[in-house]
Amino acid sequence: MIVPAFLLWIQQATAQAPEGVFQNLMANASKIGVHQFVLLSFLLFAMGVAGVLMRRNILIIFMSIELILNAANLNFIIFTRYWQMMGRITEHMGHVFTIFIIVVAAAEAVVGLGIVIALYRNRQTVAIDEIDLLKW
Amino acid sequence: MILEGTQAIFFYALALFTLLMAYSLITAPTAVRGALFLMGTLIGVAGLFLLLHAEFVAGAQILIYVGGVVVLFIFVIMLVNVREEITDVIRTYTHQRYVAGVIVAVMTLGVIVFGIHQLHKPQNQRVPILQPVSQSAPAPPDQVGRVSEDTQEVGSALYIQAALPFEIASVLLLVAIVGSVVLARTRRQEETFD
Repeated sequence: MIVPAFLLWIQQATAQAPEGVFQNLMANASKIGVHQFVLLSFLLFAMGVAGVLMRRNILIIFMSIELILNAANLNFIIFTRYWQMMGRITEHMGHVFTIFIIVVAAAEAVVGLGIVIALYRNRQTVAIDEIDLLKW
Repeated sequence: MILEGTQAIFFYALALFTLLMAYSLITAPTAVRGALFLMGTLIGVAGLFLLLHAEFVAGAQILIYVGGVVVLFIFVIMLVNVREEITDVIRTYTHQRYVAGVIVAVMTLGVIVFGIHQLHKPQNQRVPILQPVSQSAPAPPDQVGRVSEDTQEVGSALYIQAALPFEIASVLLLVAIVGSVVLARTRRQEETFD
C-alpha cells in the first residue's frame, strides 16, 4: 500500500511545475544526470579504499580491490553513455575497456589467490599484520 | 545526460542496494560473509550497467565476476580460512585507521557537497543535459519488442578496433592459468615434478 502511494507521489511531484524548495528538490531529484552516477561510482571507490586500508584479512582486502575495479568500470560505462547522449562518439569503446578490466581483474584474482594459498601454507595465517617477515 | 523520470526509482533502488552491500562488505566480520556481500555488490553494479544501456557488459559481469571470481574466492576461503573466524577482529580505533577514516570521510563529504550543490542549481546552470529522442515521444508499437544492438556493436568494436588487446588478453589469461597452477603447488608435487 505504501509503495504505490509513494510512486504516485513521485509522479505528481515530477509532473507539476515545481514551486518551493522541497518541490524543487523533489523535481530535481528525479532527474538523474551524470553527477549522481559519478557520485555513486566515487562512493563505491571510497568504500573500496576504506576496506583496503582498514581490514586485516587479506581476502577481504582482495574483495575491496575488486570493489575499486568495479567503481572504475562503472565510470567507463557512465561516460560512454554520456558521450553517446551528447552526440560526440558513436562506437562502444568504453564497453570494450570495461570488458578488458573485467578480464584483467579475473586474472589478477587468480594469481593473487594462488599467492594467498602458498602464503597460508608457510605462515598458517591470513592476517596481514602477522605476515611481516621475508623468507628466511 | 540521461533525463530519467521513473527510471530514477530504479537508479535510487539499485544505488542504495549497491552501497549497502559495499558497506557490509568492508565491515564484514568473516570472509565468507564478505564474499556473499561482494556477490551482492557485483549484481547491483550489473543492474546499474543495465540501466546505462550496457547489456553485454552487464551479462559479462554476471558471468565472469559473479560466476567465476566470487566462486574462486569462496573456494580459497574454504581452503584457507577455516580457523580464522574468531581472530579477525576489526580494531577500528588504531591511529593509522583513524587517519585513513578521516581521509576517506573528507573525500566523501567533498564529493557529496559538490553533488548536492549541483542538484540545487536551476536547470540551465548545470552541466548541459540533452533530452534523448526516445524521451519526448513514446515508443512506436512495432518497436516495443526490439532487441538492443549493444552486443553487435561491442563485438564489432572489440574485434575491429581492439583486436590486438584482445589477443594480448588471451595470452594474459594463459599466463594467469599456468602461473596459478605453479604457485599453488604443494612441496610434494614439486618434488615429484623434479
